[in-house]
Amino acid sequence: MEPVMMILIVGCVVIGGLLASLGAHLLPVGGAPAAMGTATGIATGTVQIMLGAVMTGLFTAASVATFTDSLLLVSLSGAVGATVMMCVVMFMANIVYAFGCGIVPISGRVDVDPITKEPQAPYRTPQTDGHGVPNVVYVSGAIGGFLAGFAGALMYYALLNYAHFSAGLAAIVALSIFVANAILAAYNIRGTIEGFHDPKFKRLPKALISSFAVSLLCGIVVVLAATILGGAL
Amino acid sequence: MTVTPAVIEEEEPTKKGLSFKFPPEETEMGLIAGIIGAVIVIFTGLPAVIKGVGLLLVLLWGMDSVRKTSKYGLGTGVPSIGVLATGYGVVGALMGLAVAEYGRVGQLYPAVLVGVIVMGAIGLVSGIFANGEKFIAMKIPRLERAMMELGMAGTLAILLECSILTGSLSFAAVVDNVMTTGLIALLFIFNCFAMLHPYNACLGPDERRERTRMCAVEISGLICVLLGLAMIGLGTSPYGILDGVSLVVFGAIVWVVFFRMFIKACMDECYATVGTGLIKTIE
Repeated sequence: MEPVMMILIVGCVVIGGLLASLGAHLLPVGGAPAAMGTATGIATGTVQIMLGAVMTGLFTAASVATFTDSLLLVSLSGAVGATVMMCVVMFMANIVYAFGCGIVPISGRVDVDPITKEPQAPYRTPQTDGHGVPNVVYVSGAIGGFLAGFAGALMYYALLNYAHFSAGLAAIVALSIFVANAILAAYNIRGTIEGFHDPKFKRLPKALISSFAVSLLCGIVVVLAATILGGAL
Repeated sequence: MTVTPAVIEEEEPTKKGLSFKFPPEETEMGLIAGIIGAVIVIFTGLPAVIKGVGLLLVLLWGMDSVRKTSKYGLGTGVPSIGVLATGYGVVGALMGLAVAEYGRVGQLYPAVLVGVIVMGAIGLVSGIFANGEKFIAMKIPRLERAMMELGMAGTLAILLECSILTGSLSFAAVVDNVMTTGLIALLFIFNCFAMLHPYNACLGPDERRERTRMCAVEISGLICVLLGLAMIGLGTSPYGILDGVSLVVFGAIVWVVFFRMFIKACMDECYATVGTGLIKTIE
């Protein structure tokens, strides 16, 4: 394998890992409190949301990769798949909260919505941390889903076309590296986050450094494996 | 001021007959499972049942590491660390399978352990980053070691499952039988559940290590049944169909024994059970 290809694979894996970490910080993760309607976001952990988003993204990316060689097209199709999945989940969560529990979508971290300038504090139930998925969180979650899907599809494309893995192997390895990065980001978040307006978002650089190191090592492992096998996949 | 007499009655002796103390301590468990798992991985010509025993030990080791880490409270739920272990396992298995042909003697593949060692190193690095004061600062005691163990256990588990399903560890065979058939996705989920589910299900103030381990062994038994069925379907074993059938029987026996033991332990140790009528009570 030529050195250019090696650098390309490692580069794609590292960029994918960094985007995965950034995406995890943008998604609205509510955790167990959200299941009781006492925190903003989707009622599950970071890993489950990220895994769902990237798997949907990989499905669309893999379908598109069967008839095109364009890196941008494959990556963007993965991103769109993940975004659609995230948007549907957030929308359904809102429907369940609003019509099932009778609570309005309200941010718990800011008093005024940074995008629509709607007041938030008067509608917040005392002693809770917000409910549902309000506007700013929805936008943040859609961007997070886009980045997560893009990251997964980018890694998939690099493994499929540069490292010449078979489709199944490329998908599962891309998923594994993505998951490792997403979990490091999840530990940085410590449970719940609302999106880019959350104070915890400022911790992002620490997760990016960790993600960079881990995905660099994983990229080197993948390149070594691909070089040793030499297209025997 | 009256003192409630219930405080005195709390000192009850622990119930006997339901302990499952193999091996008693976490470090010993890691050493035993690691060494036995590594030996069984190398000898791919062994019957599936022995590989199943190795898989059971390795998954138990992984579950122990998950428990050790998660009891300090991760903030993201127990599943995250189990998924992390499996994610590392797949990358490590890829590395191990890539170098498997080097130093191969017949059915012996000693080079696959390179993948285990590499993944141990990556796990250690990620543990240092996750626990380091300057980085994510999780402040969990011995997280570095636990993440290293998780990477190694995950890799060994994936390699053992590949070895059960294909009967060898040559990359071409694994790609044909495990990757293209899509079984790798099932292996991913199996491993995740065997490692994360026991502690996730049993956690709480009254969590007991032996009871959690019963749950882990029970899930490993179920995995053996499913792997045995997949083996029969693939027909790759050098010992014919009997190999797969024996693995199914072994898994079923393990599952029945440990499921009974687990339910019994739960019923005995809880304050009271209220039957819903859905599950027949054992007593």
